[in-house]
This record gives sequence, structure tokens and C-alpha cells, in this order.
Amino acid sequence: MRSLGILDRRGLIFIVLVLAAGVLIPLANLLAPAGSPFHVSDYLVPLLGKYLCYALLAVAVDLVWGYCGVLSLGHGAFFALGGYAMGMYLMRQIGPRGVYGNPVLPDFMVFLNYKELPWFWLGFDHFAFAALMVLVVPGLLAFAFGWFAFRSRVTGVYLSIITQAMTFALMLAFFRNDMGFGGNNGLTDFKDILGFSITAGTTRGALFFASAVALAAGYLLCRALVTSKYGKVLVAVRDAESRTRFLGYKVANYKLLAWTVSAMLAGVAGALYVPQVGIINPGEFAPANSIEMVIWVAVGGRGTLVGAALGALVVNAGKTWFTGALPEAWLFALGALFVVVTLFMPRGIIGLWGDLTSRLRKPAGPVPAPKPAE
Amino acid sequence: MEPVTQSLLYLDDISVVFDGFRALNKLSLTIEEAEMRAIIGPNGAGKTTMMDVITGKTRPTAGEALFAGIYDLTTLDEADIAQLGIGRKFQTPTVFDMHTVEDNLLLAVKADRRAFANIYWRRRAHERARIDELLERIRLKDQRFRKASELSHGQKQWLEIGMLLAQEPRLLLVDEPAAGMTDQETADTAELLRDIAKTRAVVVVEHDMQFVRDLDVKVTVLHEGSVLAEGSLDQVSANERVIEVYLGR
Amino acid sequence: MRLFRRLLSAALLLAAALLIAWAAPASVRAQTAGGDLAPALAKIAADSYSDTEAALVLLSASTNPQAGVIVAALSDGRLLVDPATKAVYVRAKAGDALADAATGAAVSVAPAGLKPVRLNNRVRRAAEAAAGALSLLAPDPAKRLEAAGAVFKSRDAAALPTLDAALAKETVPQVRDALQQAKAAILVTSSSASEADRLAAVNLVVARGDQEALALLANLPADAPASLKAAAANGIAKINRSLAIWSVAQNVWYGLSLGSVLLLAAIGLAITFGVMGVINMAHGEMVMLGAYTTYVVQDAIRTDAPWLFGWSLAIALPLAFLFTGVVGIVIERTVIRFLYGRPLETLLATWGISLMLQQAVRSVFGPTNKEVGAPSWMSGAFQVGQLSITYNRLWIIVFALLVFFALLVVLKRTSLGLYVRAVTQNRRMAAAMGIRTGRIDALTFGLGSGIAGIAGVALSQIDNVSPNLGQGYIIDSFMVVVFGGVGNLWGTLVGALTLGVANKLLEPFAGAVLGKIALLVFIILFIQKRPRGLFALKGRSVEA
Repeated sequence: MRSLGILDRRGLIFIVLVLAAGVLIPLANLLAPAGSPFHVSDYLVPLLGKYLCYALLAVAVDLVWGYCGVLSLGHGAFFALGGYAMGMYLMRQIGPRGVYGNPVLPDFMVFLNYKELPWFWLGFDHFAFAALMVLVVPGLLAFAFGWFAFRSRVTGVYLSIITQAMTFALMLAFFRNDMGFGGNNGLTDFKDILGFSITAGTTRGALFFASAVALAAGYLLCRALVTSKYGKVLVAVRDAESRTRFLGYKVANYKLLAWTVSAMLAGVAGALYVPQVGIINPGEFAPANSIEMVIWVAVGGRGTLVGAALGALVVNAGKTWFTGALPEAWLFALGALFVVVTLFMPRGIIGLWGDLTSRLRKPAGPVPAPKPAE
Repeated sequence: MEPVTQSLLYLDDISVVFDGFRALNKLSLTIEEAEMRAIIGPNGAGKTTMMDVITGKTRPTAGEALFAGIYDLTTLDEADIAQLGIGRKFQTPTVFDMHTVEDNLLLAVKADRRAFANIYWRRRAHERARIDELLERIRLKDQRFRKASELSHGQKQWLEIGMLLAQEPRLLLVDEPAAGMTDQETADTAELLRDIAKTRAVVVVEHDMQFVRDLDVKVTVLHEGSVLAEGSLDQVSANERVIEVYLGR
Repeated sequence: MRLFRRLLSAALLLAAALLIAWAAPASVRAQTAGGDLAPALAKIAADSYSDTEAALVLLSASTNPQAGVIVAALSDGRLLVDPATKAVYVRAKAGDALADAATGAAVSVAPAGLKPVRLNNRVRRAAEAAAGALSLLAPDPAKRLEAAGAVFKSRDAAALPTLDAALAKETVPQVRDALQQAKAAILVTSSSASEADRLAAVNLVVARGDQEALALLANLPADAPASLKAAAANGIAKINRSLAIWSVAQNVWYGLSLGSVLLLAAIGLAITFGVMGVINMAHGEMVMLGAYTTYVVQDAIRTDAPWLFGWSLAIALPLAFLFTGVVGIVIERTVIRFLYGRPLETLLATWGISLMLQQAVRSVFGPTNKEVGAPSWMSGAFQVGQLSITYNRLWIIVFALLVFFALLVVLKRTSLGLYVRAVTQNRRMAAAMGIRTGRIDALTFGLGSGIAGIAGVALSQIDNVSPNLGQGYIIDSFMVVVFGGVGNLWGTLVGALTLGVANKLLEPFAGAVLGKIALLVFIILFIQKRPRGLFALKGRSVEA
């Protein structure tokens, strides 16, 4: 199937579904009466909103892993940094309503005897500044990290291991009280966002809608990148990095661009996640979280973008169900998922679906498996 | 900058040492514009390492490597060198398996190589025409939309040569183009390379003596990292030291 | 092989030396009971503060074992007097049982109207001094050592006669030194001693060289002669210099200890990752399984054969090796062998396995920490100068080195090692020569996992045995292997010890967390510079 423009049929369906959900689910929550079969509960809206953030995060991971062959085990760090930037804004919005009633300092700073706001908290009382930092902080970290790593041609598992070390180091740092980010309690007890109460149904609906729009926009951005000639070069880098170099492409720059964009998307996902779950703490930096993100992508189908988003939804819905119904079994299920997907479903749900439909149309004709990237 | 030499490629006293092992030992070689040269030599003679030095993959331990008299190849990376106009074909065909034949050529066609420029890239008529012309030349017109992974070994070799041509290099480095080809394909390949050499310099590394004979060009024999002999194939075949190296002592 | 043998014999000699040093104080001198307590008890019965004090002086010189009991009871308020009969009784620490103070014989019926002997601060101090003096003559050398230390701190001149008596009898050199230092401490601070004696005493105190000595010299009485003050100032500077060196030495020791732990955790990984190119994220869980094996073994021993407890670790070692080795082989045969040449996929699959293993252990043993005991030879510590060296850390260092060299021998000298190296270097060629590569892969992976298991036995001695045990080691182990250079066991050794020592040397300046972060950042930057680690293979073989 050759496509015109950046959207193929699958992408179009995806965008329509996401945007429709973005409008309909908040409406079903606010307008449909509680007994109605169309009603979506207050509990479900932020939960689904959280899934949308994860889906955006998965799309970001897929951009670098699926198209560029860079397996990041540290995307949780970019997600968390975006979340912290938003959390800092929300903390400043609390103002004098905190337990200690200090108009400037958040509660944890009063508790830790801070006399004044640390310099890196300045400006976060403005939403626009915080929103900018949601992009700039993860973007800058990714750029600096990638600049060194890609130029020195650190690839494959070595790169994966140092991305893991990066998020691990950040986790240790954010657990420290004197970092000024609330230590292991993180940032919480948010009151309102842009003047609207964070617990109000309409705010929740708006945040859900914003997440849906962000997911659609993030998908379109990635899709635009991967369907351009830039994207073709990216895939070439994934499959034969040194050959691409001998064609005259500066591989490091290509990777760096995708890597930085991906980190910024992860930051946006984190920023939308925080007001919906109401807390951000250093646990988000845990290396295990970052590895879990990779499996979302693998489950849905690596290198398809839509599959990544789908995988995030499926795995997290499964997680919610398991931790409610069979908490003991969740890690078994997740662990088995890692094994089964890598062994038997290298192209994920999307690939499985593709195999099924093409087999129905024409019985013969094997589909070549994607070449594993180093 | 004043050119140091009129030669297109100028290697002088190049040595490459890996952990005490001398892969190249004071190798000197010059290639002129639009010259075709065949490089032969037993395994471990340093043929591939020489290509690595020219294309920036390996940094020489000592020596000088100049392109077009002014560019110091020992300070540039692979991408810079490729953009200067040095193309390389590997021993085993390396094409982009997941891309179509057309996209493989598109990635190779001489154009802006910067990342940002390629985001805004739109297909242009002259690029399409150039790709059509190349497909014709490497006889893959009917395979245009097939994935490169589905091609036969010989077709992949030709696709890679096509990609090389698409770069419009001034110097082509071709490593064992005839490996794994049928006799007919081998003859066709020799023909194609001779044709290319009318306008560009071509350096061919080859084991197949019949193929080298078909090319009918000046031959350089490498042995233990340096040049053993140079001349026509008949001349070097008669050289005592070459015989000694090839037949064992 | 010769190097290995020499190291082994060196390790054995060291072990023997340690055992002798530890066992020596056991040559306990028996002390006969004697000495009349009656005069002292009579003074106590008078129940005036000054009489009690005088009684304590008498008691402190007594050789009767009851003297210690009486002094201890007095300080606790458990010494009772019958005002009517002037008899003195000791009440037991727990409960109401009474005993006669003079004989220690139990008294079945408590007389009415017993009064506790009253205490004030002077009496309390005198009681402490008497207790200290009595311990100076205790049969147990460890007690005497402790008492000498107490006198050094209290500098109670009243202890001087007892000190002299103790010195005259003392045969254990270590205790003798301590007694002399205690005496010196008293002399330095006593204005009645001659200046020459006091100067000599300063030298003895300086020779002791620890914080206590420093405190003593810094707090000389104001009326001390100038020469003494000058000698003390000199001594303080000298002690400070040596303490600084000792503190670096102590940190290096901690670093070596941490390094040996890292080595143990990383060494199995060096095989699976370095030799086979397999990223085993479940490696930490192999360590954890090894630790749980130790727990199970000890549990069985506690219930069925408590007398074997001293051997529990020795029994657990082979069992842990076999168990985790078998688990490793099963993982290799069922999952990893389908993923060779796809390191990133291996990483994900083994991560999944690690989650399942963690949950399995949690389901079977529960999420809480399990108590793994230390056999007596693993507990305790000894001093080398100002260095405090605990036995468990020492044994783990010795053990880590033993495992390392044993592995080196296996890889270099056995046919398994030869096959492993052949398969690593050229799989197809090895297969063509009739080596069953699949079997070698499984055995190599089993070996790596088994070593992780015995690392777990050692780590159960210093870390909490919980399902999360392995998680704590996996990142550090990867750092060690990557830093040291993949495919090079010596690199792993140097990498582990370097990172361990660097970590501990950074801690005093940066704190534990920042030090660790600094190291992680350092390794991230280091890999940029040398993507293949400290001891990298170079040349064409790398490109293949």
C-alpha cells in the first residue's frame, strides 16, 4: 500500500478514533446521567487519560527504537522531567493554600527550612514558562546526552545500558531532599491548573481532551518525520548504519534529531500525565519503568507508531485489570509478555493482524520479518 | 589552497598498526582522474584496510592521504569523504533491505545530505529522471517497487553499483564486484565498470584473475601491507616476487 | 596455574594467621577465688555515702569473684541491707530472687524491712571505677582489654594500684599494651607524677594514636608543665597525620570490600555478556536465587541439624551453584538460544524472565526480608592499627578472588574453556570441527548463572535477602563489565575494584548518593571516549 501524503489509511483511522474519544469520553462523563449505559465514571476519565499519555510516550519510544534502532532504556527520565516541570508549576499554583500557608514556598521547602525559592524554581509560576520547560528540559538533556553518545558512535546494547544508567542516576538525584524537588515524596497536593480546580469534572475532561490532541499531534509529527526522506534515511541508519555513512549522511545528526524530538514528546506526555494522576515522584525515573515502555512498543508492533500507541493501551489496560483482580499474577503476566513477544511476535499485534489479513486475501506469500537492528 | 599533487588520490607512506600487527606498511599509491586500477593481492595483503583508510573508516597510524590534492582524508569522517566524491562498494552487497529499489537509489542520489533539509524534501522531476536512468543502466527497471531484500545476489550487487553511480563520485572504490556472480553477470559487470571509468576514477579490488584480465587495466599487487609490483597484468604475472607470493615460497 | 597456586597458598596462609590471632586469647588463666569480703560488707551495711565509698575501694582490690557481683548490684540499686542484722543481699537482675552477698548462696525467705543501699554521684563514680578495676583482673582477656580501655577514658587515679597489679600478672601482649596505655593516661593527667614520667607517658599515649588519645592530649590539666604541653601538641599533630592516613586506608578497605561485592555480582555477567554477547537482565535474579538457596539450607539445618550450622555456607555453595546453573541452562535452552545475534531482544526477554523469577520467589517466600545467619567465623572484627576489619567483609574479598581465579583457570585450562573460547571466536568454524555449539552455549550460560548463584551465597551475608536483592546489583554489574571491557575477565577485576574504591573515596567528600551519581556520570562519559571499555580488544577481530 503506497500512501499519498503522510497519512495512510491506518493512520487516518487512528487519528479519527483518538480525537473522537477525546471529545466523546469527557462528554459521556459530564452529560450522560450516572445510570445511563453511556456514562463514563469519574474514576475512568483520568485513568483513560493516563493511558493516552502512555500512548504518546510509546509513540516517542517507537520513533527512536522502531525507526532509528536506538533502544532507549531511559525514556522514563524524559517523561519524568516533563512531569516535574508541570508539577513545579502546579506546586506554585497552590500559593498560600498549603499546610504551612507560605505564599511562595511549597510545603516541603518550608518543612526543610528553605528560606527562599531555589533559582531553578523561578518562573514556574507562569504556565507559559513551565510549558516551555516541559519541552526544553528533556530536549536539552537528550541533546547533550545524544551529542556525546552518537558522536562517539556508542550503539546497540552499550547505548541501552548507558541510557539506563542515566535514568538511574537521575532517580538517585531526585530522591535527595536537598535537590529541591521534594525528595522521595515528590510533588503532590495540587490545587488548580490555569485557575481551574484540578479535581473538577470539567478540568478532568479538558485534560483528557488535551491528552488526545497531544497524542494525535505527536503521532502526526512522528508520521511526518518518518515518511519524509529524513525518515527513509533514519530507517537506513537502523538497518545498515555504516553503509548510510558511506553514502555521505552524518548519521549522528540524524539520530540526534529523532532522539531529541522523541525526548520532547516524552516530556509532553509526562506533563499531561501529572495533573491527571495528581503526583510526580522519583519512582518515575526507575529503570524498570523505562523497560516497561519498550514492551508496550514491542507488543503493539515496533516501527509502526500506531502499534506503539495500541500496545501502550493494551498493556496498561491489562495491568489495571490484573492489579485489581489478580495482583500476584501481574508480574508473571508482564514477564511472560516480554518473553512471548520477543520470541513469537517480533512484529507485535499490528504485524500479526497484517499476517492474518494478507493470508485471508491471498493464501500464499510470506511476509519478510523485519531485520533485527543492532 | 594550492594542490600538493595533480593526482586525484594520493597515498604516501601510509601505515596502519592494530595492536602490533601491521595491516598497512608504508603503502604509497596514486590514482589519476578517470583512471581505472585493479588491486590484487593475497588474503591479508591490506586491500580492505587500504579502502578503510581512504573512506575514513580507519585512521592511519602514520602517512598522508590526499584527495584532489587538497583534502586531507585522515582528518575527515566517512560522511565528509563520501560527500567529497568518493564512493565505496563493499565486498558483500550492503543495500537497505527494508527499502524499495527506488528508495535505495533515492537515498544515494546526489543531493543535500543534511537532516533538516531532508525533512522538507519533496520529490522533484530531475531526481525521478535520474533514478529512471539509473534503473535502466543497472537493469532493475522492473524491480523498482520491490524491496531490496527480495533481490537476487547479483541484482543486489548491481543495485549497489547503481547507488554508487547515483552519488556521482569522482572516485569509486569497488571491492570484489564479481564475487558470487555467474559468468555472464561477471562479463556484464566488467563492461559496466569500463563504461563508468570513462568519466570517473575506479579502483577495483578483485581476486578473479579472469575478471581482472577482462578489465584490461593497470594492476597493483599488494603484499603484507605495501605495494609489491605495478604494471599490466602480464607484466606483474611475470614478476618473480609476485609469483613467489602467490605460489608460496 | 602456578600463579593461581601461589595465590591459593597465600590465601590459606592468611586464613591460618587470622585463625591463630583469633584463637590466642582463649588461653585463659584460671583465677582462684579468695579474699575476705567481710570488712567491705560491714562498711556497706553502715549505709553512709563515705563508708560505701571506702567499701568500694576495698572491693576493687579484692580477688573474690563475688566482688564484681556486689559492685554491679550496687550501681543498679539491687544491693539490699537488712538494717536489723546488718546482712547484705543481692537481688537478681530479673525477678525477686535474693542471694547472700558474701557467698552468692540463694536465700529462700527474704527478711522483712530490706533497704537498698543508697547512691549519690560520688558513690556511683566510685562504683564505676571499682567495676573497671575489677575487670582489669577478670579471667577473660577480652574483658581485661575492655577494662583497660575504660580506665584510659576515665583516667581514674584510684585504679593505679590495680593497674600495677594487673600489669605484673599480664601475659597477653595486646592487653599488656592496653594496660600500659591506661597507666600512661593516668600519669599524663596526674600532677603528682614526675615530669619525666609524664613525658614518657605522653609518648605511650601518642603511640596509641586514636581519637581517645587525641582527646586526652587536647584536654591536659591547666597546671601541666610547659614541656608536657609542648610534647602533647607535637603528639596531637603526629596523631592527626596518622589518623588522616588511616582514614584513607579505611576507605580503601571499604572500597576493596565494595569492589569485591561488585566483582562477585559482575563476574558471572562477564561470562554471559562478555564471552557470549548475551545481555542477561535476569543475572541479578540468579544472585537472588543463590541467596535464597542459602536461606533454605540454613532453615533446614536449624530445624534438623543445628550442629551443622557452622558449615551452612559451605553446604549452600555447591547447592546454589547447581541450582542457579540448572535454572540458567533451562533459560538458555528455552529462550535465549532463539535470540542469538539479537542482543536487544535478548535484553527484553531476560528482563521478562527476571520479573517472573522475582514474583515466583515473592509468592513462595513472601515479600519480606529473610533472615540469613552468619556462622561464627563470619562475625566479629579485628583491628589493624586504626583499621577495623570485619571478618565477613574479609572473607568475601578472599572468596571473590578465589572465584575469579578459579573461573580464569576453568576458561584457560580446561577443555570446556577451550570450547567456549572457540565458539566465541568463530561459531561456524567450531561447529565444523565437531564442537556441539548448542551444548557449549548452554554450559557457558549455566556456568555464568551458577557463579551468580554462589555470589548470592556470599551476598546473603551482607545484604537483605529479599526478592528485590538482584535488582540492586544489575546496573552496577553492567557498569563494571562495560567499564572494564567486554570479553576480558581481568578488565572485570580491575573495573570492579576501581569502581569500588573510587566510590568509597568519593563518599567522604560528596556523600554516598552524590558519589554514586558522579561515578555513573563518569562511566557514561567514559564509554563515549572508550566505547569498548578499559581493556578493549582492538583491531580487525572487533569488526567481525
